[in-house]
Amino acid sequence: MRLHTLGFGLAVVAAVLVPALMANEFYLKIIFTAGVYYLAAAGLNVLVGWSGQKSLGHAGLYAAGAYTAALLTAQAGWNPWLALIASAVVAGGFGVLIALPSLRVKGPSLAMVTIGFGIVVEKIVTEWQVPFGGQAGIYGVLPPTIGGRMLGMREWAWLVLAFGLVTHLMLRTLLRGKFGRALQAVQAAEVAAESVGVNVYRMKVLAFVISAVTCGVAGALVAQQNQYINSDFITFNLSIFLLLTVLFGGPSVMGPALGAIVLTLMDAFLARWPGLQHFTYGALLLFALYAMPQGLAGALGAIGRRLWPRLQRAEPLPPVAGEWVPRYPAVRDAGGVMLRASGLHKAYGGVVPTHDVSLELRPGHVHALIGPNGAGKTTLLNILSGIVAPDRGRIEFAGDDITRCGASEVCQRGIARTFQNLKLFAHMSVLDNVLVGLHPHLGVGFWASLVGWRSARAEEREARAEAARLLAFVGLAERAHDEAGSLPYGLQRRLELTRALATHPRLLLLDEPAAGLNPQETEALTALIARIAAQGITVLLIEHHMDLVMAVSDHVLVLDHGVKIAEGTPAEVQRNPQVIAAYLGVDDDDGDDTEAIAEGAAC
Amino acid sequence: MTNLLQALMSGLALGGIYALVALGFSITHTTTRTLNFGQGEFLVGGAFVGVAALLLLAGKGPVGVLAAADVSLGRYAAALVACVAVLGLLGALMYFIAIRPFFGMSGMAWVMSTIGFGIILQNTALAIWGAGSVAMPSPLGDGVIRVFGAGIRPQEILVLATTAVVMLALDHLLRRTRIGKAVRAVAANPQAAALMGINVGAMVVLAFVVSSGLAGVAGLLIAPITTASVFMGLTIALKAFSSAIVGGLTNPRGCIAGGFLLGVIEALVGLWRAELREITIFVLIIAVLVVKPEGLFGQKPFEKV
Repeated sequence: MRLHTLGFGLAVVAAVLVPALMANEFYLKIIFTAGVYYLAAAGLNVLVGWSGQKSLGHAGLYAAGAYTAALLTAQAGWNPWLALIASAVVAGGFGVLIALPSLRVKGPSLAMVTIGFGIVVEKIVTEWQVPFGGQAGIYGVLPPTIGGRMLGMREWAWLVLAFGLVTHLMLRTLLRGKFGRALQAVQAAEVAAESVGVNVYRMKVLAFVISAVTCGVAGALVAQQNQYINSDFITFNLSIFLLLTVLFGGPSVMGPALGAIVLTLMDAFLARWPGLQHFTYGALLLFALYAMPQGLAGALGAIGRRLWPRLQRAEPLPPVAGEWVPRYPAVRDAGGVMLRASGLHKAYGGVVPTHDVSLELRPGHVHALIGPNGAGKTTLLNILSGIVAPDRGRIEFAGDDITRCGASEVCQRGIARTFQNLKLFAHMSVLDNVLVGLHPHLGVGFWASLVGWRSARAEEREARAEAARLLAFVGLAERAHDEAGSLPYGLQRRLELTRALATHPRLLLLDEPAAGLNPQETEALTALIARIAAQGITVLLIEHHMDLVMAVSDHVLVLDHGVKIAEGTPAEVQRNPQVIAAYLGVDDDDGDDTEAIAEGAAC
Repeated sequence: MTNLLQALMSGLALGGIYALVALGFSITHTTTRTLNFGQGEFLVGGAFVGVAALLLLAGKGPVGVLAAADVSLGRYAAALVACVAVLGLLGALMYFIAIRPFFGMSGMAWVMSTIGFGIILQNTALAIWGAGSVAMPSPLGDGVIRVFGAGIRPQEILVLATTAVVMLALDHLLRRTRIGKAVRAVAANPQAAALMGINVGAMVVLAFVVSSGLAGVAGLLIAPITTASVFMGLTIALKAFSSAIVGGLTNPRGCIAGGFLLGVIEALVGLWRAELREITIFVLIIAVLVVKPEGLFGQKPFEKV
């Protein structure tokens, strides 16, 4: 923290002094260019480095900003400063537009769609004479003035550097808070992010818009500085260059700055040999990721941490004050209904994993859902948690109809879950995994997070204190700063449960929490579930470890081939002949034997 | 009416080009879940290897101007073989340099590395043949055949015929031969295919060889229509990818259908307002993605939670 303040102070001094001491226009222009690329890359880094989306069409957003500023000043006679703001707004609008497909497509298809967007914009500004002037472009773009005075190259350099420094501060604040964590969660595991109440699509749109705004401002600044824009500025190569800047710099807050400075200098140096310039880009694209998967910032950071281990030290957790308690404890009530599902039905072609299932979960109780493999247990859990929509049927939770709610909304209403195949945010710390779980309860808005408002900082402190309490509650406090993916398997399972608890659920759905655990770990988990239930959190768990089921549950539901075949207390279910048949098959003549085996299977 | 017929014909020819490249995308995507983002540059490579081969066959140096007399059907066929061979090799090279090292890495490192490989390829072509476009005469001459009053260029017929032959051969290869079945097995499940004794590594290399070879064929075929240019690759590859999305990246036959569909739509829109061609196509893509993200003939991916 203090290190950053020091570094930032030095950067401010350099930003003031370097242009002041530089007499050569050419060098000033290089500073300006590096600043512009930094602006564009800083936003793109939020998209690429944090949310994990790729865009190969940011030249289109650059164009949106540049042409907005050009048309508004040259043809509509707007004030240049207003036009600059308008260009940010228009580019942001285009950002929403190219975020739309990201709801439906992922990976390479999305990358290709963004290329398509960039190419379309390029074609439009090249071919449409009105209003874009085609290849001839738009002359007479007005630059902003300060006190009626035109800016010289030196003032331009100062202006862009000031923009860059402010952008850096704001994005750093934003990315260290709840939005940064939510974006990283989206990148790590979308389904898991949804399940802890992060609206994945909204986060993606946000990332696209942030990248669009900074990119649009960069374009507008270039158009205004040149007082001219034409279609030659808008090329696929620009999109590639911007992405290369981000990847070469690395997914860190400092990455885009490093990338922009190094690549702009290289660009200026190689400008004499245009052929070589492009070869170099190609080679960098090919090999930079190979040599430095975490970019220049990652490589330098690794060296720095080795030379100066203090850099590595994470901010310590606040001391734990008091025990963690759930916010919405239920009173154990055998007559009440927390969740009522009726007639749930889901078919995948001919396979019907959920066949007209109805169930009731009671406040403060522990329910277990058992059944042979392929009985449809996980599908039922997916339906209850909003990840899969049922074909028909109805789910009521705390009196509200939640049948059509998506996963993040289901979580926000108080149903949390874990996954059979662990879905942790593996590259984030244990603490950050828990803090993402707290996301739905952090009320601070985007703007407050962006400027680091006092309310945002206070809330962040409170969130860390709560996470510390929760980690102490489950016994993970010592591992708070470890990477989640580096924990031993048993602790990873526990962390996933902790993350679900952090969302302050009223109902906790656990999908085979003991899968893969050894007997001691299973025993510890059984005790933990009992403690959670004692705190007043209703639990529904799928489990194959019958000793765990029998030890903790008040009520057992049995599913076979998508149909609920029995329910009742553990003892009742154990005696139920249908259940025995489902697990062991039917034996016609030797009833005693079946019972004996059933006892064995139950243990 | 004659205009319409003419546009339809050139749309089909163009669609054939898209279909060839789209098929290449589909083959590597189904086998490796990756594809070559520099495919357009491979198409450029195909066009210029064709130019060089034709020049060499005519007894000239690899760089120069092609006269109509230099191109005969036999030489064009020989150039086709050269294209497939050179581009196939390049495809294998690209796989080993730009795809394999990044296999399984998070993010999409291979997207960037294949683009990087394409940029290097493009600039190599730029250094050899320069930025200007090179005209390639059609082996069938530049006359115009009149059908119902509509003028059809013989090269368009050649494109369609070649495309049809290549696709039928490939379809046969994939469905009826041992090696084709092996490729499809790898596409369906690489682990299971490996357990059945299929050499998965070899099949994956083969997929990239075939995919790049197809781009090479497409480059050679389109050169007589548009002239060969170092910068022509990106747009064509992009439209080919759009075709693959429309038809369904997972379904080779769907990709072919998507290619022809896009070619015809583009030609018809061009007849009406040329400047709206690109926009129409990309609006169409967005519409398809919204309504049916897996493509018109694609398979819905099933994600287990």
